[in-house]
Amino acid sequence: MRSIWPGRITGGWIVSVIILCSLGILPLLSPKVYFLSLLYMVFLYVVLAESWNLIGGFAGYLSFGHVAFFGIGAYTTAFLMSTFHLPVASVLPISLLGGLVSAAVALVVGYPCLRLRGPYFAVITLCFAFVVQILVENLPFFGGVEGLWLTPTKETVAFQRALYYELMMGLMVVVLLVVRGIEHSRLGAGLIAIREDEDVAQCLGIPAPRIKLLAFVLSAFFPGVAGGFHACYLTYISPVIVFDVMISILIVLMTLLGGGGSWAGALLGAVSLSFVNEFLTTFVRAEIARILYGMLFIGVILFLPNGLWEFIRNASFKRAHAER
Amino acid sequence: MKVGRRPRTTFWALVLSTFLLGSLSPIMAAEKPILLGGSLPLTGVWAETAKVIEKGYRFWVQEKNAQGGLLGRPVKLIIYDDQGKPDNAVKLAEKAITVDKVDLLLGGYPGTAARAVMPLAEKHRMVYVSMGGHMKSFQQGYTYCFGSPPLMGEWWFLAAFQWLESIPADQRPQRAAVYIMNNPVGTSLTQSINEWTKKLGIKIVIHERYNLPLPAAEPLVLKAKQKRCDLFISGGVFPDGVMTVRAAKALKYNPKVYMQGVGSIIPAWVQQLGKDGDYIVSGTSYHYKLRNRSNLELRKKVKEKLGWDVIPTYFGFAYAWLQTLAAGVEGAGSLDQTKIRDWLRSHSVETLAGTFTFDEKGLPPPFTYATQIIDGQVELIWPPEVQTHAPIYPKPPWGE
Amino acid sequence: MNFSLLLQSLISGLLMGGIYALLGVGFSLTWGVLRVINIAHASFGILAAYGAYWALTLLHVDPVLSLLPIVGLLFFMGMGIHKAIIQPITRAREIMVASMVLTFGLAIILENTMLVIWSPDPRVLTPSYAGRAILLGDIGIPMTHLVGFGLSLVGILLISLFLHKTHIGKAVQATWQEPEGAALVGIDLHRVSRIAFGLAISAAGAGGIAMAMMYAFDPAMHNLWLIFVFLVVIVGGVGSVFGTALAGLLIGIITGLCMAWVPYHWINAITFGILMIVLLIRPHGIFRTGV
Repeated sequence: MRSIWPGRITGGWIVSVIILCSLGILPLLSPKVYFLSLLYMVFLYVVLAESWNLIGGFAGYLSFGHVAFFGIGAYTTAFLMSTFHLPVASVLPISLLGGLVSAAVALVVGYPCLRLRGPYFAVITLCFAFVVQILVENLPFFGGVEGLWLTPTKETVAFQRALYYELMMGLMVVVLLVVRGIEHSRLGAGLIAIREDEDVAQCLGIPAPRIKLLAFVLSAFFPGVAGGFHACYLTYISPVIVFDVMISILIVLMTLLGGGGSWAGALLGAVSLSFVNEFLTTFVRAEIARILYGMLFIGVILFLPNGLWEFIRNASFKRAHAER
Repeated sequence: MKVGRRPRTTFWALVLSTFLLGSLSPIMAAEKPILLGGSLPLTGVWAETAKVIEKGYRFWVQEKNAQGGLLGRPVKLIIYDDQGKPDNAVKLAEKAITVDKVDLLLGGYPGTAARAVMPLAEKHRMVYVSMGGHMKSFQQGYTYCFGSPPLMGEWWFLAAFQWLESIPADQRPQRAAVYIMNNPVGTSLTQSINEWTKKLGIKIVIHERYNLPLPAAEPLVLKAKQKRCDLFISGGVFPDGVMTVRAAKALKYNPKVYMQGVGSIIPAWVQQLGKDGDYIVSGTSYHYKLRNRSNLELRKKVKEKLGWDVIPTYFGFAYAWLQTLAAGVEGAGSLDQTKIRDWLRSHSVETLAGTFTFDEKGLPPPFTYATQIIDGQVELIWPPEVQTHAPIYPKPPWGE
Repeated sequence: MNFSLLLQSLISGLLMGGIYALLGVGFSLTWGVLRVINIAHASFGILAAYGAYWALTLLHVDPVLSLLPIVGLLFFMGMGIHKAIIQPITRAREIMVASMVLTFGLAIILENTMLVIWSPDPRVLTPSYAGRAILLGDIGIPMTHLVGFGLSLVGILLISLFLHKTHIGKAVQATWQEPEGAALVGIDLHRVSRIAFGLAISAAGAGGIAMAMMYAFDPAMHNLWLIFVFLVVIVGGVGSVFGTALAGLLIGIITGLCMAWVPYHWINAITFGILMIVLLIRPHGIFRTGV
């Protein structure tokens, strides 16, 4: 298996680097701003889905409250940027700070909550996300339900969009590399062992509580950073925007549809769903578009019950055998 | 090596093809029609109102084209479905602006989406006439955004309080129970309620904010009843508004005045509640019974073309937004956004909802019309010059 | 302390919780027996509510009466859906994961089909006794809420009788506890699953009609309902009918107490906070075992 995907890397690396480079220089070709925004949103969802993949896909801990970390990052950044009227140059460090705040919260919350398994973990994270949202809504210094407006900056639209596009793409590349690295590391193997059978894994000497927590904290850090970028991108955030429970659900579905537990699965899920959604929104009447979108989920799972990625990998595996 | 590359190529081919498919948007070849584009939440939780707004937009376009179009060119609509997500609305507005190259940007809904699109419209220098997202969104220093008419929580009960002011002080309600939603729509009401109750010498006994979904309405009604509140202000949307009305009826709670927020201005309120919806007071910045020239004309046309006797409130809003935009275009004599903006800022505009001049925030002077539901009809009760029915005070007890 | 306000809040909370319990029982059943997490569960409730709405406005049939044929139809619809799309995914490596994605798709399809048929306008059920209430001193209990609560008690009772007293019900229970063993003694797993799924969907329908007695509904409302169903089921312990019922009442009591004592904008934070604490103390739900 390893020798086929993603074993001997060279070919894959070259293709990936070419694609990333061409994506990277896209803003220089001054495309229509919409395309930058569209790709920015795709990158955002790749970051969110891949981060969730760490805890949900690898370790099998279905967190239904992951949007909380996205929102915490967004609020930290928006709060600092608007309170101190910080310039655009500080977006990156402030967003990283947002990520750290998210990670710290994840550490505190994850420690007790990760003792819960399966559906109980899913529900406690869901509750957690609601509690955070209500806290932000009810504490006056975060702007309450009204939300926060960021100070308008003088940069042109094209520049701003290009900036957040590049930042989000950079973050995506980092996340992909991290998740890919973890997949092929002892940490990844440990997490997968936890998913298969946590008790057995512990008997085998895998320090389950510690690596679960590590995965959870990591999976909260990146959404926090992404949230910071997103706050600056939108320039207006409110609790219902950045704590929307549907974002939690969407990233879970993206990962599961693509195939949890591998970096390529979540990537595939996030990219394909985002584009299909955009395609339907553009070309098909609203309700019909939604119905087709729903059918897509049913269709994919009926024919590929283990997700898109496993199907592609198996197909390649079979072909490899045939060619041999 | 060869073995491994093919699936990888298929994989990337897939990624690329989805990307290409997604980007091949319908590029309108003709430069003749004037394009008007934007997004509305046609599916999802906000779909109900969005569908009405869409109808209003389409009706206006149909009318305009029948009259020979805008600047002599036909008008064409592009409306995307943003599913009620503000970041989708931002992305689709950008699509309308940069890919479809619309000449004019459509106003969106709900307030959260409008709030997110307003800074974008400003950045792209596109005139954005919409309901806005209450006062705060108009205080951000935008110059291209207009509320014509806006949907302004801060003004919602203005006319209703003015009406209460006309009642002799000893007959006015004395004690108020205020229950509003804990969201921008609800909290935007707070300031005016506080100011006006103080002015009218009404004591606020209960002031609560609740989150949606409201679990049960009986406790909050009972509390108001126990504290002998004779002014009941419920600042909710449809589901919680209906629950509260039903609870008030069940508990035989009869305040002198029952005020309700946005929930009661949608057609479903009267249709679904029937008699129980009667005598409830609300506000609006457009009403189909307004007697200005523009609105009378529209009523005739709507009756003719659609067979409707009643123009839904949001239909009128949508129509008025486009009237304003068109007035700007025709006044400026061009599609140059800055010229349109400057024209709108320096001239008065006649719309269904009234004739407006805009201040530096893009808002007309504060106004609303107070409504009361009487015999299953939403009637205008205040200010006197627009009155279609005398206000009923105090509210009669609930029927059987 | 204001006694009648407290009592009113508690009663209102309990009525609400009871109705969520009925909506939740079926969700618990599919999860327990089939290992299927049915995201579309609440959408079937909305569908049934629309059915009752039509019966009421077009045929003037009371929701309590129209409930029977609607629930019957939903039972067969559930069986059909199971055969068509749920059964095939049992070959997935992780049924729970696959079923979540699948039924999410189903929920979107149902929501938007309802959007096309009934438009997005919100509706309320207004049976002849709507607006009437039982008054006990200050306290009032609307008839509709009482009927909805009654429906949910009867519904939960019937389901648990079915599971304990009938042959098929016992087969469902056996499959729940020991699928391989059940197969060994000759239970047709697919048939039992199909019946369990049909039953769960009908329970969702009954729950939806009970909900519609209390609350307004529209096609997109199912997301909100589902979140509460999820809470009720997990807190009660997956696979426990009585656990689900009690968890529903528990959430009702918490909400009721909050409505009496706490500023309203903190109610949800406290409810969810208490649920988190409950889960941390009892990591497998309050009632772990038993049907």
